[in-house]
Amino acid sequence: MSSHREAPEMAKDPVADSTDVYAFVSPDRPNTVTLIANYIPFQAPDGGPNFNEFGDDVAYDINISNKGEAEADITYRFHFTTRVRDPKTFLYNTGPISNIRDTTWNRPQFYSLTRIKNGRSKVLAEHLPCPPVNIGPRSTPNYHHLATQAVHKVGSRRVFAGQRADAFHVDLGSVFDLGALRPFQHLHLIPMADTAGRNSLQGFNVHSLVLQVPISEVSRSGKAPQDPEQPGAVIGVWSAASRRKSRMFDKEKGAYVGHGPWEQVSRLGNPLFNEVITPMAHKDAWNARAPKGDAIFAKYVNHPELARLLPVLYPGVFPHLAAYHKARADLNAILLTGIPKGIVPGFQNFTGTVESDMLRLNLAIPPTQSPNSLGLLGGDAAGFPNGRRVGDDVVAIELRAVAGVTIPLVDPSFTPDGAAGLLTDGTTDTNGGTKATFPFLGDPGGGYQTQPGTSAVS
Amino acid sequence: MSDTTRRKLLAATGAGVATGTVGLTMGPAQAGEARRSASSARESVVAYVHNHRSSEVRLMVGEREIVVHDRDLATRILNAAGGR
Repeated sequence: MSSHREAPEMAKDPVADSTDVYAFVSPDRPNTVTLIANYIPFQAPDGGPNFNEFGDDVAYDINISNKGEAEADITYRFHFTTRVRDPKTFLYNTGPISNIRDTTWNRPQFYSLTRIKNGRSKVLAEHLPCPPVNIGPRSTPNYHHLATQAVHKVGSRRVFAGQRADAFHVDLGSVFDLGALRPFQHLHLIPMADTAGRNSLQGFNVHSLVLQVPISEVSRSGKAPQDPEQPGAVIGVWSAASRRKSRMFDKEKGAYVGHGPWEQVSRLGNPLFNEVITPMAHKDAWNARAPKGDAIFAKYVNHPELARLLPVLYPGVFPHLAAYHKARADLNAILLTGIPKGIVPGFQNFTGTVESDMLRLNLAIPPTQSPNSLGLLGGDAAGFPNGRRVGDDVVAIELRAVAGVTIPLVDPSFTPDGAAGLLTDGTTDTNGGTKATFPFLGDPGGGYQTQPGTSAVS
Repeated sequence: MSDTTRRKLLAATGAGVATGTVGLTMGPAQAGEARRSASSARESVVAYVHNHRSSEVRLMVGEREIVVHDRDLATRILNAAGGR
């Protein structure tokens, strides 16, 4: 979650695993939009000597659809190159790293940023340095300085690629133990005493691509939209990762060599879509497809398995949901087409009738001064499912939506169950916290500073 | 079948074998006398025959995939691949 290890094949390929996507009008520069794509889940900060890094053999994309056809009208592509400065040492660093260009960092990573628009590629920047991972106070004594050095200006854009604290939070241990939500588990089919939620991603880092571009660069009109109800005000966003179509193991190199075109192996638009909407048997194929073909998955949105499970797992708690058998037009709008105007006063993020899993952002809605982590459900139109901010509690939002809170938007005859509007897994971001300015995700936890977690058999 | 015997059989059927690698240019295929063109690939290439009943051969080279429909090429690859 939100798309960490969400599909069987992708769970074996963390370097290409898209874990979260964020898209929001930038609170620090409201004439820009910030796009974030995270990869490589569950990074233990002390995972040396070969610490996590982007894959040189992976193409990382942030895609934008702005013409209402669910196609990638603009793609920002990141390619990485890793160097080994001293082939005679096993060390990641041979001394303190005080500057991202220090030669004591034995395994620096660089990247190029390319924009693909209307089928034409333009290299926007090359040889941009990443920061090292956060190793500890001896090796990376001023990590924040290193991360700041890795924020690059590329024309009127800003870009960062490197390790960050994972801001997503969810109680995986409980959710995947037969759908338990610890704050409500006395109501579960197999009851236990209620407890606070536990953030399963606490202490873990991810690798992030953070790109801030002028709104005019990604909007349909080439200008910053002013009217939220204007159709061209909305963009669709999704991340992807691709590998070469053929990989041969080169015994001489002890590594794989790629041949052929780049083929998509992972994608992510709305949080949790492939995680809890798509059946396991179709998750791998879903990852390889483009959003434009998502109509074949619409039946899983219109009749989601989770909505059937909730009344079973929590007997007597969701009688209205249990009795509701109509297709879920509310979820179809939220996840596959965007919400048309006329549903929520003054708001829309409709991208057209092509059913496609994209994160939809209305560029004409300015950032909120005091964001509500429940986004649109909390009356804050600048948050999920209008794009997604780093602090949006997408687990609670989607749990409540699936439980029926959003049905009355399209079917006023339905009254949600009382519990539906209270659902939460009880977690918050217990990692590095979010920042008010670029790159918005907090500095990653350090290896030396890491306290191992605890586990128990029973 | 011993290794030696198998090698003899493979040699007789025209498929070359050397430490597990099938050489497409050995045996009767030499009669084709293919010559490299000016635009011939100058890097490693992967050939993929997905369906042995089809004449389709997919070639991965650089960041490109070239799909050729060549019954003779597909057959020669299949014959060589079946050599073991």
